[in-house]
Amino acid sequence: MQNVESEYRIEMTGISKSFGVVSVLKNVDLKVKPGEIHALIGENGAGKSTLIKILSGVHQKDSGKVLLNGKEINPKNTHEGQVLGINVVYQELSLVKDLSVAENIYLHQLGANRFWMNWKEIINDANILINSLGFDIDPTAIIRDLSIVQKQVVEIAKALSEDTKVLVLDEPTTVFDPTDTKKLFNTLFKLKKKGISIIYISHHLDEIFKIADAVTVLKDGANTGSMPVGETNMDGVIQLMIGRELKDLYPVRTVEIGEVPIFEVKNLTAKDTLVKDVSFSVRAGEVLGIAGLGGSGRTETAKLIFGADRKKSGTITLMGKDIHPKSPVDAVKHAIGFVPEDRKEEGVFLSLSVSKNISLTNFKSIANKLGFINRKKEVQNVSSLIEQLNIKTSSRELAVKNLSGGNQQKVVLAKWLSIDSKVIIIDEPTRGVDVGAKVDIYKLINEVAKKGVGVIVISSDMGEVMGISDRIIVLHQGTVFGELSKEQFSEENILRYAIGEQLQ
Amino acid sequence: MLKLLIKYNTIVIFIVLVIFSALISDVFFTSINLSNLLKQVSGVGIISIGMLLVILTGGIDLSVGSLIALLAVTFALLVNTMILPAAILITIVIGFALGSVSGYLVAYQKMAPFIATLALMTIARGLGFIYSKGSPVTFQTSGGELMSNFGNESFLGIPNIAIIFLIIVLLAHIMLRYNVFGRLIIAIGSNEEAAYLSGIKVNKYKFLVYAISGALAAVAAIIVASRTNLGSPNMGIAWELDAIAAVVIGGASLNGGKGSAINTLMGVLILGLIGNILNLLNVPSYPQQVVKGAIIIFAVLLQRFEK
Repeated sequence: MQNVESEYRIEMTGISKSFGVVSVLKNVDLKVKPGEIHALIGENGAGKSTLIKILSGVHQKDSGKVLLNGKEINPKNTHEGQVLGINVVYQELSLVKDLSVAENIYLHQLGANRFWMNWKEIINDANILINSLGFDIDPTAIIRDLSIVQKQVVEIAKALSEDTKVLVLDEPTTVFDPTDTKKLFNTLFKLKKKGISIIYISHHLDEIFKIADAVTVLKDGANTGSMPVGETNMDGVIQLMIGRELKDLYPVRTVEIGEVPIFEVKNLTAKDTLVKDVSFSVRAGEVLGIAGLGGSGRTETAKLIFGADRKKSGTITLMGKDIHPKSPVDAVKHAIGFVPEDRKEEGVFLSLSVSKNISLTNFKSIANKLGFINRKKEVQNVSSLIEQLNIKTSSRELAVKNLSGGNQQKVVLAKWLSIDSKVIIIDEPTRGVDVGAKVDIYKLINEVAKKGVGVIVISSDMGEVMGISDRIIVLHQGTVFGELSKEQFSEENILRYAIGEQLQ
Repeated sequence: MLKLLIKYNTIVIFIVLVIFSALISDVFFTSINLSNLLKQVSGVGIISIGMLLVILTGGIDLSVGSLIALLAVTFALLVNTMILPAAILITIVIGFALGSVSGYLVAYQKMAPFIATLALMTIARGLGFIYSKGSPVTFQTSGGELMSNFGNESFLGIPNIAIIFLIIVLLAHIMLRYNVFGRLIIAIGSNEEAAYLSGIKVNKYKFLVYAISGALAAVAAIIVASRTNLGSPNMGIAWELDAIAAVVIGGASLNGGKGSAINTLMGVLILGLIGNILNLLNVPSYPQQVVKGAIIIFAVLLQRFEK
């Protein structure tokens, strides 16, 4: 049926997509009307981004149908998507930092049809475009010098063109403060009046009820509901987002937790990041979970404790003594370990061997005063850790890049275990790790805690953070918004604190 | 077999070149020629080891060629005014200090290594001309004579200066293979952020490699001056590029984290051999440069097969 006057601008039906053996989307529907703000929500890993990437042409669907104004479309790449009028503003800002606002906005059009830059025209057009969004930004300003909101506005301006029919915003407000969010909403209302359909991905449920007309919820790659906003409420949406059962993924915790905290931070405030007034403590043998939405300051808190970011005020106490880690060197001296979230960029040395990766923190016990390494001691130490952590590698001397994600993660952990760390902070312990290795890592965290180490686990995966923690603190906008004891663990409670609401 | 050839490609190229040279010229395998060859490569060889350390951290040191000029002039001036051991020691200390300037700018001021050492390169060359008043400074004392004897004599058939070079290679090899220092600079070059987050004093080691590179440039300067009996501000022009070429032919990655002292030695010898054999064949110097460039490309392409 050729229905040009279709009710929907976008009609995605029965969309399925697998990456290898992992099925990311199962029979998902998404229907958006013209001039509608449609919220797409779900937990991390629910499949929101994949769905959007299929719409915009980054990924190709395995099955299903996508209709634009009633006509089937099949964009093979983002360019085809853009030509069709589907524009996406991604979470990671994709601006060229050293170019001006105007150049960035017209970057994809430059060179395509003209040889000389018409500066006057470009700057003028950019100005008009930005003003039409309700903002006032100098088109000749360099992106690097802009605030994050301004960058986001430029990003939206760049995404918009005369033929934009659908605009997708992937978590635009994670980094905004309330006044900025309001400004952004006004912009969106303006676009909506022009008849543009907006798909709005956000973790901030409160926002959705302020601006969205309809909402679609995904969970584990499937639809769990789609309705006008008026027909549901916060509780209803949270219900749809959660409810997964925890299988045997998480090992039983049988660790004796110490009486007094071995590690404590009080009123920790960062100089350069949003972290402010963070206080918490960890006892020996305890696993403390840190939950919160993306951009709530979890990683920043970890880096602050580890001395990688600069502290403005606050105290850090280790085993009753005040410590002042000004750099990771200091932190390591105090036997604090840190497993970063971005394993490949910050955790492992991909081109170096398993052995060299593990030994790196531990030269004190395997090298003499002149720095000459005792190979025998090194081999002993590394071999025992490989065995202890069940690291699957064909040899100690194999480059780490040949290992699976889970085993790479174990190598990073081994680095900290080899120096008997007292506190280990693990940021996203199982990102990009398959299920089997996940179980291994959870067991390992358990083992580490058993040794009397205070373990701090930062995780976006709510099942994970509840499954392995003894206690959870939830960050919201850079500070500890709430603390949950084991009896209070529920996705709903975490979500509530994470979006800055009190428990019911 | 093929795998082995690819894995040890630098050594294979070296051996092939030696055999080829021996076949093509009967002068090649004479002790005079080999001894000359070793003398010729020692200066570039020594700065190549400093360059290797810098490149292992992911940096580059463009200043070493000019440092040789400045330090050779300095050494010649010092030799003429004080006892030899003091002149040697002070020259090396000055080399270390000059390298420290690059090291400070790169490690603590976060300047791009290319820029920082490019600046030092220009400054050093300029200072060399200033202190020498634009003309070579010859050795005039008995200490100078001692030095020039040392530079031109051999021990057990191996030129003294080549022995110095080989000792430096050996030391570097030991430090890189068996010492924490080597482990750490390779780790920094492999992943600087991960090294920092592992509690390694990244800045200290980055600073040190440039300082060491400067000190090695001083040793090279002393050796070169001792061969020619003088220090000239025109010495070492474009030697930094030969050093980089030697390190790269030796299989090091300019991104850092990969490279070895023995392979760098091979790189130095390969470059020297090419020059030597082309000289023996009476090929003029311009075509020589073309051949050198082609060999660099060939060697690096060959390294790709390793993966």
